[in-house]
Amino acid sequence: MKKHIIAASLMLSAMTSFGGGYQLNMQGLRQLAMGGTGTAWPWDASTIFYNPGGLARLNGIQVYGSAMMVMPNTAFGNRDQSGVVSSNEQSVSQSFMPFSFYLGGRIHEDSRFALGIGINTPFGNRLSWNDNWLGKYMVQSVELKTVFFQPTISFRASEWLSVGGGFVFGTGVLEYNRALPVHGIQGADIDDGRSNLRGSATGVGFNLGAQIKARENIQFGLTYRSQVNMDVNGGAAKFTVPASLSDSFPTTRFDTRMPMPQVASIGMGWRLGDVTLQLDVNYTGWNSYDSMRIDFAKTTSTLQNIRAPRMYRNTLTPRAGLSYKLSRVVALMGGAAYDPTPVTTGFVSPDLPDADRIVLSCGMTVKPLPGLTIMAAFESVNSVKRNGSYDYAGFNGVYQTTVFTPGLGLYYNF
Amino acid sequence: MKRIYIIGAAAFLFAACKPKVNVTTPPSAGEVVFSNYMAIGSTFTSGFADNSLTVSGQLNSYPQRLFEQFETIKSGNGATGPFVQPLVSGDNGYPNPKLILGPVTYCDGTVAMAPVNTTMPLDSNGSWQYISPINNAQINNTAIPGIRVADYPVAGYAGLNPYAKRFFYNPAQRPIDELYSRVFNLHPTFFTLWLGVNDVLGYAAAGGQGDGTGGALPVAANIYNTNDITPTAVFTTIYDSIVTAASSTTASGALINIPDISALPYFTAIPSNGLIVTRQSQADSLHAIYASKGFDIVFQEGKNQYVVIDHDGKLRQSVPGELILMNTPLDSIKCAGWGSTKPIPSEYVLTTDELQNIRNSVDKFNAYIKQECQLRRLAYVDMNAFMKTLSSGMAYNGIDYSTSYLSGGAFSLDGVTFTPRGNALVANFILTTINNFYKSTVPHTDANKYPGIKYP
Repeated sequence: MKKHIIAASLMLSAMTSFGGGYQLNMQGLRQLAMGGTGTAWPWDASTIFYNPGGLARLNGIQVYGSAMMVMPNTAFGNRDQSGVVSSNEQSVSQSFMPFSFYLGGRIHEDSRFALGIGINTPFGNRLSWNDNWLGKYMVQSVELKTVFFQPTISFRASEWLSVGGGFVFGTGVLEYNRALPVHGIQGADIDDGRSNLRGSATGVGFNLGAQIKARENIQFGLTYRSQVNMDVNGGAAKFTVPASLSDSFPTTRFDTRMPMPQVASIGMGWRLGDVTLQLDVNYTGWNSYDSMRIDFAKTTSTLQNIRAPRMYRNTLTPRAGLSYKLSRVVALMGGAAYDPTPVTTGFVSPDLPDADRIVLSCGMTVKPLPGLTIMAAFESVNSVKRNGSYDYAGFNGVYQTTVFTPGLGLYYNF
Repeated sequence: MKRIYIIGAAAFLFAACKPKVNVTTPPSAGEVVFSNYMAIGSTFTSGFADNSLTVSGQLNSYPQRLFEQFETIKSGNGATGPFVQPLVSGDNGYPNPKLILGPVTYCDGTVAMAPVNTTMPLDSNGSWQYISPINNAQINNTAIPGIRVADYPVAGYAGLNPYAKRFFYNPAQRPIDELYSRVFNLHPTFFTLWLGVNDVLGYAAAGGQGDGTGGALPVAANIYNTNDITPTAVFTTIYDSIVTAASSTTASGALINIPDISALPYFTAIPSNGLIVTRQSQADSLHAIYASKGFDIVFQEGKNQYVVIDHDGKLRQSVPGELILMNTPLDSIKCAGWGSTKPIPSEYVLTTDELQNIRNSVDKFNAYIKQECQLRRLAYVDMNAFMKTLSSGMAYNGIDYSTSYLSGGAFSLDGVTFTPRGNALVANFILTTINNFYKSTVPHTDANKYPGIKYP
């Protein structure tokens, strides 16, 4: 055999990923404990997120802080062409901590206007697999951290109507690691190449809400949170590859956009003595996430821009929650939600192997001192077992995810 | 008190709810007994790769992968070790050096990564004669690189093929007798048989030098030209006797058919329209060169089909779909005017009629293999279909496998045989057929666990 030129293209499949049902409904502990409901009733300053219209109805000035520990866990079984399922894999346990901070209240005691600011983490994702797992060429680990700042104004138009709105400024960090299917000439083992993408993102949007007090004990709420496009401009793309391929995988910059979808919600709250019942429905505009695109500043025949199809669909999430005031000091909460997945058949990728989720939650609040409230909540999310394939990458399997989220927080009324 | 209950309940939930996807299918043998698995075949089956035979190539052969998967069956009738392959002694190639990727400087001063012979000292010492470490001389992978179906009745064949000679019981006996000896020794309960590829490959790799119509006559008693296609009647008669030998211990098995070899990277790596003309004046002067010799060939700016000598010795421009072989010396194309001012010689070109000859024979051979399967109730592995899938691109666990040279990931540096990953994909495809035919549930292997092309 004679020496031969290599058509130097080494087309790596552009099948990568992050994103998915990366919405976190964890911007308030009481709401978390009540199945994620909170559009109709302004419990505390976290209404800045859940319904900015409710802020004008709060008494005094409130400062609010909470933190949660999200502990996701995904199991995966590979399904081959003859339908045999093998090689059980567990994601590496990786927890992350979304937090919320709110400060707000009426500008003075008799005013119809209220001002506030919210700082929270409405979207995020963190998932790691073993470096040598079956899907290593799609994802080894992915992390999306966002922090949203929302200065807010709220106005009590009448006894029965209050409205509010906030400007949203989002910042975030995205990191995404995967193996590259190129290995060196040394040794019998496979030392895969590695791809590391890391960049910071920013985006803007708004949050509008209205609360309607139909009767003394019945309230309705409407909110609309706009889509926030988190743009990564000039993120760092680094590749570790055999020396002869270093020109094919230059260290470069990348741009991408992660749409944080718009959410419209309608909610109802009904108070009967010590018991408050809340019902919410969220409509989430996931279909804006039709593909994941990564554009590299410098491309080669090997390193091509990435266009991975996503084809998410919009979802409708019903939620219900209950609060029971045990005494002047202690209240107990519980709730449930059914959160259908935005990920459609044929597009279930292992970066966020999403499935329909059943959410159960509980929590309690304690008022040890006048003005001070301490909150605790716990949420458990179980996905149904999903037979999923990501046809684009030829990846088939059975997934199941659970997420446990304990949270603690407090607020103080001045 | 209440709080303790809540914390207790939460702790319980936490402990109980770590997800477990317990949907794994327990591996089972179905209607097959896999305990004694024998592989019969030629180049593709032996683990030959990178233009040579090495230990690591053999340990990554598809029969090795199949055995490992059969071994996962613990519910009875699974394979039990050892799986003996006639291993050579080292990793640098036997008897010729293996190919590795390295920088190559061409006549025009350009440098590119290309396959070159390894410069490591050859380890043929000890490879000459293989002696099975098992007492009764057991060998499970009996594949002989290069062997054709047509070679099975040739007495003294081992004298012509060092790969056969090194492990034959009796190098003087015919390969078909050797196969009987091996079958009686191992008593296979299951076999795979992949033969026939080499009956067309020799013709293709020689640029279609032989007759090609399947009507070739023996060059000596029983011996057919290795640069020609085995006549169909010869193929079917001998193939039948090989399957009879393989199943003589009433083993179940799988017959693997012949892929369209013209899709192999060896035949597609150099595009036939690789003649780049940058200016119209250049196109005109090329036209003038051929006009002065009495040929009317029109060139244009951009890509042009190479000028070749065809099957009938005629000078002409190639047509789209015709193939230039990978062993065409690139320096001759770059600096000696091959394909432009001079035609590429016929032995480096597969023309339309030569390709049709190959396809005709492959179709006839495969029709016969399928008939054998139906007659003897053996699994029919349609590797021809697998190759079609692969050549149109096959997404598998995050990699786009294809038949593209190097970048396709499935074929080794020689452009013909598989990489360890390619072999694992082949094994998986065979497993799918076996599972469907014999109602077994043998899991696939993760092909991406094994090496692909290695880069310096």
